[in-house]
Amino acid sequence: MIEEYNIIVAGVGGQGSILLSHILGNAAITEGYQVRIAETYGAAMRGGAVSGHIRIGKSVFAPMVRLDKLDLLIGLELLEGLRLGTKYLSPDGTAIINMRPINPIDVNVGNARYPDINIIEKSLEKLCKEVIMIDGSRLALEAGNIRTLNIVMLGAVAGTGKLPISKGTLEETILRMVPPRTKDMNKKAFTLGWNTIKNRT
Amino acid sequence: MILMSIIEDSPRKRVLLMGNEAIARGVVEAGVCVASSYPGTPASEIMEAIIPAAKHFGFYAEWAVNEMTAFNVAAGAALVGKRGFCSVKNAGFNWIMDMLMTIVFGGVRGGLVVAVADDPGARTSSNEQDSRFAAMWDEILCLDPSTQQEAKDMTRDAFDLSEAVELPVIVRSVARISHSLGDVTLGEIKAENKKAVFDKHWKIPFRWNVYGPPSTHSKHVWLHEQIPKIKELVEKSKYNTLKISEGSKYGIIASGIAYSYCLEALRWLDALDKVSLLKIGTAHPIPEKKVEQLLNHANKVAILEEGDPVVECQVRSLAQKLGKEVKILGKMYNFILPPVGELDPNIVEDTSAKFLGRPTLKTSSNREKIKEEIKPLIVPRSSAWCPGCPHIGTYYALRKALKKFGGKVPIVNGDMGCYEMAGYGIFAKKIEPSFAEESVRYTLDSPYELLDTCHIMGSGIGVSQGMYHTGYSDGKIVAVTGDSTFFHAIIPQLINAVWNNANIVLVVFDNIWTAMTGHQPCPGTGIVGSGEQSKRVSIEEICIACGVENLKVGDPYKLDELVEIFEGALKNDKLSVVISRRLCAQVLARQRLSQGIKVEPYFVDVEKCIGCRTCLTLGCPAVLFDMENRKARIDEVLCVGCSICAQACATDAIKQKGSQ
Repeated sequence: MIEEYNIIVAGVGGQGSILLSHILGNAAITEGYQVRIAETYGAAMRGGAVSGHIRIGKSVFAPMVRLDKLDLLIGLELLEGLRLGTKYLSPDGTAIINMRPINPIDVNVGNARYPDINIIEKSLEKLCKEVIMIDGSRLALEAGNIRTLNIVMLGAVAGTGKLPISKGTLEETILRMVPPRTKDMNKKAFTLGWNTIKNRT
Repeated sequence: MILMSIIEDSPRKRVLLMGNEAIARGVVEAGVCVASSYPGTPASEIMEAIIPAAKHFGFYAEWAVNEMTAFNVAAGAALVGKRGFCSVKNAGFNWIMDMLMTIVFGGVRGGLVVAVADDPGARTSSNEQDSRFAAMWDEILCLDPSTQQEAKDMTRDAFDLSEAVELPVIVRSVARISHSLGDVTLGEIKAENKKAVFDKHWKIPFRWNVYGPPSTHSKHVWLHEQIPKIKELVEKSKYNTLKISEGSKYGIIASGIAYSYCLEALRWLDALDKVSLLKIGTAHPIPEKKVEQLLNHANKVAILEEGDPVVECQVRSLAQKLGKEVKILGKMYNFILPPVGELDPNIVEDTSAKFLGRPTLKTSSNREKIKEEIKPLIVPRSSAWCPGCPHIGTYYALRKALKKFGGKVPIVNGDMGCYEMAGYGIFAKKIEPSFAEESVRYTLDSPYELLDTCHIMGSGIGVSQGMYHTGYSDGKIVAVTGDSTFFHAIIPQLINAVWNNANIVLVVFDNIWTAMTGHQPCPGTGIVGSGEQSKRVSIEEICIACGVENLKVGDPYKLDELVEIFEGALKNDKLSVVISRRLCAQVLARQRLSQGIKVEPYFVDVEKCIGCRTCLTLGCPAVLFDMENRKARIDEVLCVGCSICAQACATDAIKQKGSQ
């Protein structure tokens, strides 16, 4: 059993980052780990930054990841991935990033400029060992709904083999936690995410 | 939605729970009879989890009109021997203080527990108060959980402790307990079949009437007689644990979530067995015998706690009483922790390392340099109203009217709710402090810079009256509030304004729900917390009953009419109330989704758009400015078709898809 494994899900309100954190947490409990998850979100509005720190291991206490100790960054949104990755990624860590940007209102009104995607990728590469950029949003639409993005990303993460949780446990937890009528769609989303990693290596 | 892990009777099962859900599970395990709350982040999920469970088990739970009411309701159950529970956020806790300070003069018969979620760091709150101080002020017990497991267990046990000393007990959570999740082992659910009984002379004559003979003062004497009993329970409490490290002169006392950070820090520093460690779960009163034992072993003691130095000041006074020559480091004199803000694992690790004289793990300078290079790329993602939010239309109309009839320097006073975002300043360029002696007019063009004052629930209408009575003559005085806040905090102050002739303008942003905390119903919604239909309480009728003569109801999706209403209110030299009513855009979106209704988005006709950016000043996240061609654009994925931008457009350039 792994001593400690730190994951951060970074996204924007409405992308399903909280459900993804909870799926990871529940799957880790099934495998006998201790779990702590810290969530950061604003008020009820959509479109704000939403992140989840997921810490699993033999014995973990604090809900937040320490600076430079993040093993796995799951960026549902690029800029949010960069924001949290810069603060927390470990030099040995991995970043899996959905390459579709969602503009902050600050960019929309012309107060700020959204960074170039290639620069984001290069920046993350300076911070950690491996950066994997995937078009998760496209795969989610292929699965049947943009809302399956979180599960596409989870499939991709599982595909890398980095997660200390088995594929079977993840799949079982997804089916237990997503709305019943979306099970098939989410199964497909997981497989699409998984395959996109398997096909690139 | 009912959460299985709140209701399932499977003791020893390990589940993942949010701290607030864990508190709710503790309430269920304790067999509570009456639970009441008013929503407030980071505490709202407690009652959201309890209400469906109450329906399942057949006990009573409600959203109340405000925290004062909620606590009184819970107290009522405890006065007839049943268990009462109330949950509040930090600021909401202040609303229960009157009753909390007084009910201890006589106490309770059934267990009475209040769970308060503090917010160090003030991420979703208007202050950083440490509510544990209230327990000291009130002379009662306060539990301070360090994990989600303890949040559940302490809440459950708090009822037994409350009944043992016949006084209320505070369970104080913090945002990182309440809004974090952890693995929690479930306990048994207590079947509570006791009958509610009332005896006004139970153990003490005239017990529940503070003015009953012999005197009010005599009930304070009784309260003080309970203190040794509380201290005895605290000394025996499993939530206080002491581990002495023989031979070490270092001692750490850690309370609440700081204990969890401390355990990790000591593990990382490989110092777990090199320091005597006292975990404190009873933040007030502290376990004095255990503290004394620690002080006997250590001559250098660090006190780790999140919030204010509540444990520290008790330890210091005990050390003084015992005549101990101990160096105490904390947040009062020898600073080892920042005195404000939230703790995190890094701060506690740094602190512990410094305290133990060990090197801290620092980021390499090369890595720091890389981070510094990246930081300018990371542009903010500011909080804004949702696309189609009715507040966007209300504020636009209000600003337009204020420009015309607001005077030189109008003042807009607000309070808590989504409309508070009008003071977030997210479009503001760098603002310098001003030292002017005269009133200063600032922009009325920015949607997020309009709210001039904002403090607490209902503060706007109150301070407006004080401003008015100074004879302030540089501009109109406007108070803004919401529907839920109207019921919560406005009504007596509105009566005061009418009665004492404060000729201000009150604007009620009525979106039918308590939106900001996650859409709980309020008295104007027409349903109660459990979702059942109830009487819809009318804000208009209340205003009329309060004596308001100038009352208008407008629609934020009908800008011209609303501007006219605001102009009328501002021109009037009598008190005016304007209710701007429209269903919250998020609730509307959910209704549309469930009914399969699709609304065509709006778009900008680039031929007609002159790039004046009027639509941008609405502050709607769906309205963008295309820097390349200097024209506005509507994000058709985000647009909910409210038409506010089309109405605001001076050149008629914004149209709905499919329209002519």
